[in-house]
Amino acid sequence: MYELFIAPLSEVYFQKALIGGTIVAIVAGVVGCLVVLRRMAFLGDALSHAMIAGVAGGYLVMKLLFGAEAHAPGMLLGSLLAAIATVALISFVSRISRVKEDTAIGIMYTGIFALGVVAVSIFRHYIHIDLMHFIMGDILGVADTDLWVSALVAAFVLTILILFFRHFQLATFDPVMAASIGLPVLLIDYVLTTCVSLVVVSAVSMVGVILVVGLLITPAATAYLLSDRLDRMMMLSALFGVTSVIGGLYLCVWLDSAGGGAIMLFCTLQFLVVLAVAPKYGLLARWMRLRKLVPQQVVEDILTTILRYEKDTPLEVIRQYVQSGKGIRKALEYMGDEGFIEQTSTGYLLTDKGLAEANKVLRAHRLWEAYLETIGTPKEELHPTAHHLEHISDGNTVEYLDERLGSPSQDPHGKVIP
Amino acid sequence: MTIDKPAVITVEHLTVSYHARPALLDVSVGIEPDQLVGVIGPNGAGKSTFIKAILGFIKPDIGSVEINGKSAQKAKGEVAYVPQRGAVDWDFPITVREVALMGRYQQIPWYTNPSRVDREAAAEALEMVRMQDFGDRQIGELSGGQQQRVFMARALAQGSDILLLDEPFAGVDAATERAILDVLERAKKSGKTLVVVHHDLSTAAEYFDKLILIKQRMYAYGTPQVVLNEELLSKVYEGKLRIFSDIIKGGEK
Repeated sequence: MYELFIAPLSEVYFQKALIGGTIVAIVAGVVGCLVVLRRMAFLGDALSHAMIAGVAGGYLVMKLLFGAEAHAPGMLLGSLLAAIATVALISFVSRISRVKEDTAIGIMYTGIFALGVVAVSIFRHYIHIDLMHFIMGDILGVADTDLWVSALVAAFVLTILILFFRHFQLATFDPVMAASIGLPVLLIDYVLTTCVSLVVVSAVSMVGVILVVGLLITPAATAYLLSDRLDRMMMLSALFGVTSVIGGLYLCVWLDSAGGGAIMLFCTLQFLVVLAVAPKYGLLARWMRLRKLVPQQVVEDILTTILRYEKDTPLEVIRQYVQSGKGIRKALEYMGDEGFIEQTSTGYLLTDKGLAEANKVLRAHRLWEAYLETIGTPKEELHPTAHHLEHISDGNTVEYLDERLGSPSQDPHGKVIP
Repeated sequence: MTIDKPAVITVEHLTVSYHARPALLDVSVGIEPDQLVGVIGPNGAGKSTFIKAILGFIKPDIGSVEINGKSAQKAKGEVAYVPQRGAVDWDFPITVREVALMGRYQQIPWYTNPSRVDREAAAEALEMVRMQDFGDRQIGELSGGQQQRVFMARALAQGSDILLLDEPFAGVDAATERAILDVLERAKKSGKTLVVVHHDLSTAAEYFDKLILIKQRMYAYGTPQVVLNEELLSKVYEGKLRIFSDIIKGGEK
């Protein structure tokens, strides 16, 4: 136990990874909710890929102009500029050409990513950037400057999101109404995009270009399956981000694997578990709901069976007339809950509500029989065919049949049409 | 009638164009208060541009839109907007109560939380549309008519005297349509002016006090009897609508 859980905590690299990862996960989780709800997931991807060009540019400019080696703020600024340029190019291309937005995003982010890769390799004598580090991230080698940058970014972004929560909520949910009460919807969009860029930039050094979008959207999507309110979704999402980081880091130490990969793996497994068991939007819940569903046809058949039997109807009699194997018991239970039938010591009785419903079906049945006779259906087929058709018993249909047949009072077997 | 009251929405010589093609051309109309007004016209007639102009979203080429005597751009929030059903993400994590509370957002300063007064106003609005028992439901769990009523509540909570509804009757069944109409009529009785974009000519006469018939140009504004005449309709709908007689009968009753 001690070896597994406590020992890694005493390592400095592990502590830093834990602190840095937690900070990034919280802010990525919160802002990720808006990304998910606005369907901007692809944008996160575009931003992270664009970054490498920005970092290379920032590095170069700072080195050539000021002689500063690997100047962190310079690279950060470069990343931000590259991110904003990517967003601007994407919207420009999709607006002025017939190329749609998803394609424009694909073109621009790969293009700018390629620019960054080429720049880094051409200027490899000036720029000392480890491309692999960039692509895969290195959460176990987090530097103190990275920690400070991510802490500042998190504080800034969270402050904005908390202060203007209602603005973001309304502008995401109903931009037209937001604009109609005078909210600066466009500005809100830009602020959000900037926040997403900041978070992406601060997270890339830890989990890498490829995985950062996962950290942004997976915890948010997990929380989305569990909450019906945005504020709760944001809190849950932050929580899931943190658990992913903690779980992933232990996974990484135990398996001696890549840090970023382990975190995202844990995060994805966490999503799958929630997807399976979420109480309202999960697969299990969905399956249970479907199982509980009782076919209307079985309900109607049971109603008419009891009506025709005219007294306390034992289960065996219902079994005999209603063809639906094991669904009957479930249907009876459902009908009891809905107040259609009452259970007695020997069988089942219709309530007033059940009687009205049964009469409705019976009326449909007998009208259909009468109708079938007028169109020349052989006598022996009248009942079975009508038995199928009686389930088409909505008001309009029945009214039409009644009118067309001249409101008959008896069906072909001489039985009264209720 | 309410003819004598000054208009709350005054549109004068409004012309709006997209790429040198007019979406609205020289539209002038003055809508008096306390009425249920239907905006009708064929597809692409500029109905949504008309809405945007009233909400102050577009800068007209010429002409003006005034809300309560102020230009539409300055009168932000004096017109409460109820979106089309299709324009809303029904899976959004938000409850009925929160949607109603959104109506108060304009009054709440950014640095504070909604106060008790705000919450009470939202609850009151929900009561008015008879949705008070659904406060904690996620909006996607409601039926179409209930959803429409929740958005009505949000508009009522805004406290605006003018409500603008974009096709509230689209895609709902007859019973729901009545329920929504009932809410509209109660809102009217409480002194609201309602402008409703409407598609169904056959019910237009029955539902509205006044109708605006537009297709780029303003063809008519007046009571259904005046607007729903065969000559006008056949001009605007260009024979796309062959059987006008029922509709016109409706207008005459």
